[in-house]
Amino acid sequence: MKVQTRVRTWPWVAIAFSLVVALALSLVSPRDDVQGELVRIMYLHVPAAWLAYVAFFITFLGSVAYLLTKHLRWDRLAAASAEIGVFFTGLTLVLGMIWGKSTWGIPWTWDARLTLTAIMFFVYLGYLALRRTTDDQVLRASRAAVLGVLGAVQIPLVHFSVVWWRTLHQPPSILRPDGPAIQDPLMMVTLVTGVVAFTVIYASLMVKRIELLHLEEQLAEIERSTERPVAGEAVVVPELGRNP
Amino acid sequence: MTSGFWHQVRAVAHRDLLRERRRGDVLWVTIPFGALALLLVPLAIGTDAKLLREIGAGMYWVIVMLFGVLVAVGKASRETQPQQDASSLLGLDPAAGYVGRTASSLILLLAFELAVGAVAVGLYDIDLLGVGWLVLTLVVVALGLALLGTLTASIVNSTSAGTALVPLLVAPLSVPLLLGATQAYDGLRYGHTIVSWVLLMAAVVLVVAMIGVLTARPLQES
Repeated sequence: MKVQTRVRTWPWVAIAFSLVVALALSLVSPRDDVQGELVRIMYLHVPAAWLAYVAFFITFLGSVAYLLTKHLRWDRLAAASAEIGVFFTGLTLVLGMIWGKSTWGIPWTWDARLTLTAIMFFVYLGYLALRRTTDDQVLRASRAAVLGVLGAVQIPLVHFSVVWWRTLHQPPSILRPDGPAIQDPLMMVTLVTGVVAFTVIYASLMVKRIELLHLEEQLAEIERSTERPVAGEAVVVPELGRNP
Repeated sequence: MTSGFWHQVRAVAHRDLLRERRRGDVLWVTIPFGALALLLVPLAIGTDAKLLREIGAGMYWVIVMLFGVLVAVGKASRETQPQQDASSLLGLDPAAGYVGRTASSLILLLAFELAVGAVAVGLYDIDLLGVGWLVLTLVVVALGLALLGTLTASIVNSTSAGTALVPLLVAPLSVPLLLGATQAYDGLRYGHTIVSWVLLMAAVVLVVAMIGVLTARPLQES
């Protein structure tokens, strides 16, 4: 069996370029009158939270597509997106805690948005843990797909928690019915650029992770196939009646 | 076994309940364990009667969520692959199997809720407010947990994790039920309307039931 070894390098370039642009803009944007320099955390925190939603929504779509078509490429899409989503959810929580410690005086408060985000993090940790429990690709894909659909219930809960409950966490800054809450144009440009840059990073990581998952599956298939040497193949059966 | 859907549901539920009657896992293990947990909490946080009355209802729902999962998981873990294959060959509709297992879990969870609830009322001096709403909340939470527990037990079935993974999967997903139940009780206590909380729980129940029924066949076939 031939292994597909075409490895793309452009995602690394895209990631590096996006990071440089996002960081440069976040450093030149003005300081906030109320939050001071702390506002710069927002340029990482908001895009990271946005990516968490996007990633888990893609996991949901990939899971539904797998259940409908049974094509493993949808499972790879869902799995890669969940892994990246867990990373960015973790990053969102950590950045939020750093910001909260300086602004609220405590890193964690039992706010609806914070708590539900942490719960969403655990839902998808469970998803990743489930994927590690079996080597059978089809079994793993179908089990994970059901959980990928079930876990998506958390996404609207997390997003609308600041609207449904009276919480300490501020309501959405950009996606709001009466327009964005940020008035300074450079701040707004920086934030939107951050969101775009993080989305490029997400897409690039997805390409690399799907590539890797595909190679892992090919490797697993080779290990299972009959083409590989079997144990004991090197032993020559002695012919009867002939002494060496 | 190619009879109607509801006949199959009844047969599966009856089988599970019969098994529980013979083994008595919920009666002799899960209920005492839940009651023991309620007894241990005040030893850790303090035995002030006012404090315990304040946190009693919330503590009760946490115990129901965490220990209630064991009820659904325990049943599912006893169903071996050959048994599932035999059920499939006999023509059992996977959706009927899911609904049947959920129905038996629901009955056992209600028994668990009532038994542990009696202990919680005794130990924490919880006020029983709005009995009609309280019963409705108990039923909706039990149904939601039964649906979630049975579905996640089906998901982890045939994997190396066995049932060890189920609590990690169910606990975060059951948060809307926990929120709904605790907020509904607080609403009753302070004279607020609790319809929105009951509707939240009902919506969760509906979504999980739909996912469970629609994915029963793919899960069995894989």
